[in-house]
Amino acid sequence: MKKLVNSLLAASVIVSALLGDSSIEATKVSSNIDTINCKDDIWKSADFSKVTLYPQTTIKFNDKKANEINAKNKAIVAEIAAVYNNSKIAFMIKWPDGTQSIQQNDKTDTYSDGFAIQFASNYSNPKKLPYIGMGSEGREVVVHLQKETSKTYEPNGNGNVAYQVNPNQTDLFGKDLEKYNDLVKTLGTRDYERTFVSEGFRSMSEIKDGSSKSFARIAYTGDGWKGTLSRPLKDEYLNLNSAVIPVAFAVWDGDKLGRNGLKYLSAWTAVELEGKPGSDALLSALYSDVKGDAKRGKDIATANCSACHQLTSRDAANLMGPSLTNIGGYSTIDYLKESLMNPSAVVVPGYNRNAHSNYAWYNIDNGKRVSSMPGFDWMSAQEIDDIVAYLKTLKVEVENAQ
Amino acid sequence: MSKRQLAMVMDLNKCIGCQTCTVACKTQWTNRNGREYMYWNNVETYPGTGYPKNWMDLGGGFDEAGDLQPGIIPNLEADYGVPWDYNYDSLQGGASFEPNVEPTWGPNWDEDEGAGSFPEDNYFFYLPRICNHCTNPGCLSACPRDAIFKREEDGVVLVDLDRCQGYRYCIAGCPYKKIYFNPKISKSEKCILCFPRVEQGLPPACAQQCVGRIRFVGFKDDTEGQVYKLVEKYKVALPLRSDYGTQPNIFYVPPTESPAKFDANGKIIEGSTRLPIEELEKLFGPEVHGAIKTLKAEMKKRKETGESELMDILIAYQHSDMFRLDNTYYQQVAKDKGRNPLAPVDNRYIAGKFTKPNNEINFYHDGGHGNIGGHH
Repeated sequence: MKKLVNSLLAASVIVSALLGDSSIEATKVSSNIDTINCKDDIWKSADFSKVTLYPQTTIKFNDKKANEINAKNKAIVAEIAAVYNNSKIAFMIKWPDGTQSIQQNDKTDTYSDGFAIQFASNYSNPKKLPYIGMGSEGREVVVHLQKETSKTYEPNGNGNVAYQVNPNQTDLFGKDLEKYNDLVKTLGTRDYERTFVSEGFRSMSEIKDGSSKSFARIAYTGDGWKGTLSRPLKDEYLNLNSAVIPVAFAVWDGDKLGRNGLKYLSAWTAVELEGKPGSDALLSALYSDVKGDAKRGKDIATANCSACHQLTSRDAANLMGPSLTNIGGYSTIDYLKESLMNPSAVVVPGYNRNAHSNYAWYNIDNGKRVSSMPGFDWMSAQEIDDIVAYLKTLKVEVENAQ
Repeated sequence: MSKRQLAMVMDLNKCIGCQTCTVACKTQWTNRNGREYMYWNNVETYPGTGYPKNWMDLGGGFDEAGDLQPGIIPNLEADYGVPWDYNYDSLQGGASFEPNVEPTWGPNWDEDEGAGSFPEDNYFFYLPRICNHCTNPGCLSACPRDAIFKREEDGVVLVDLDRCQGYRYCIAGCPYKKIYFNPKISKSEKCILCFPRVEQGLPPACAQQCVGRIRFVGFKDDTEGQVYKLVEKYKVALPLRSDYGTQPNIFYVPPTESPAKFDANGKIIEGSTRLPIEELEKLFGPEVHGAIKTLKAEMKKRKETGESELMDILIAYQHSDMFRLDNTYYQQVAKDKGRNPLAPVDNRYIAGKFTKPNNEINFYHDGGHGNIGGHH
């Protein structure tokens, strides 16, 4: 299937330049991949696909320094491979990063490098995938996050800060206190691996009850990072037993004060599980041709969208509406169409109305978010396609294309 | 906006900069677990760099249109100062007295320096600062995780440490830089207005311990309370830098009196005053003129007639009058909600829409010898 899509893409140079990345092929293996790391031999023979990660620019945050540092970010290219066996699926992601950044436990302004892999809870309708930025209302995602951190102080080791107690405040003395301190030290080295369920960024909740089992590792190679993740094909949050599944990737650069939305992220990427039965509708949804004319689309978008959205950084004020400067990089054709026709279907969830009372992106009607944007369903199908074709071109260049 | 709002008034005419409030807070909350560098309560010299260094220039707060402004996250060494210690243990062995790190900056590095030149026109006053428990908090608005919340019952602004992921946008968003990053646990922490004390009818530790009795604590809607009278009735207590748009709930009685300046011959310049009114305007807004006028008028009235309700309040005769915490109110709230004490965490997410509820939150360590690190 991958070859088929590739040859389809190759048929049109213009189209392939717009679409860029291809799917990832997950090879079936028989070995145990429960605790796989990046040194495993499996990866030597794995087929790595290039996935472009774009700087997140939809939402701007209020960290002045970080905004300055990240103002001119370009996209980066990660290489990703996947394998699976009867019960688990594992990913390896390699991405360039000239500096190894680890959040220090005695500084207030340092941040860690790291990566995340996002899965859609429900991907049966490829036209209605969750919003790429950690899901959206009614469309949940599961996010696995791995960061490189220095020792944390977690006396009880379970991340429950409510129980944290200074040694001086225990009722322990002598040998007992030594024992306690040793235990704190061991527990304090807890690996920073977390799993979240999210229906839009603000709602993101960490799974802390042990009901999500995963194993992630990260290693710096001198000019970049290698990260691995192994997780069950099926658990109470996800069922990945399908011919094609949508997966998205994000990486953080601590040197650029990256954390949360200050990240690089991919679009929904198809992972083909070799030999699994199921529909390949997702492949055509993610990699099919845009039928519109980007040039015509630019004129229509400039007339209809640029008063509220930044198509380029010279348009409307930042935060007037979601910035679209990299929308072509990390969104799907169907998402763009849906948002044009029915803006309330997905309201960008990371936006904080409290912080921007001057720019109401949405109102709340009976507990439901209603977008301030009018629907463009009055446009002809061709006009919508033209806009979408144009929006797909909105993305920054790749950093030092190798 | 919360249903009720706790507020504090600090009378700057009476603050002597003794730092008893700072120490009360530090020993109660911030001498441990990664909070060592934090001063939830600090007393800085004004004019001066303040704590953290030049906090007024670090952004945050809202513009006139109501949009959050970007801010800067202070650096521990350069802006807060690394808390240093001395080698007391080695002194017996003949070692010289040395700090464990080379101190390059710290809170109150420029204490009592002030501005102007001695002896002609130098001046300063003390400015005690805690979290303002704002009605429109910059920290809350900046958090992309909904990890900061304002309690319905009393308007206390708290960080839900269970949701906080340590992004630190709150620090950039707070124009007062009164929310701090705990690097040991990688979460943000701040003044909690001593809510566990307040719920039991006790004032925050800083207010209780204040030797100058400058702090009044109470609900803003309690018309019998001294806080209400100072803020609403006499309008002599004003918020700090209300131009940041966060609607602070800590109010200050501005310094009213300052000595006259000296001329080149060391003679008093009659009618002059060392404290430039422009500085007070910058801190407390144009309302400061009215406040000072009222204070002077009431002072005069008291001198002439022996009577002034405002002066009686500011003299601060009784702790029981200065702190009106409405103990019964908290008991009623706890009873209505079926929990005691009030939940120290946000309950919007704790029930877990997606994830199973976390361990029941117990605010106190109950680990005996055999129970360290145990689940519940």
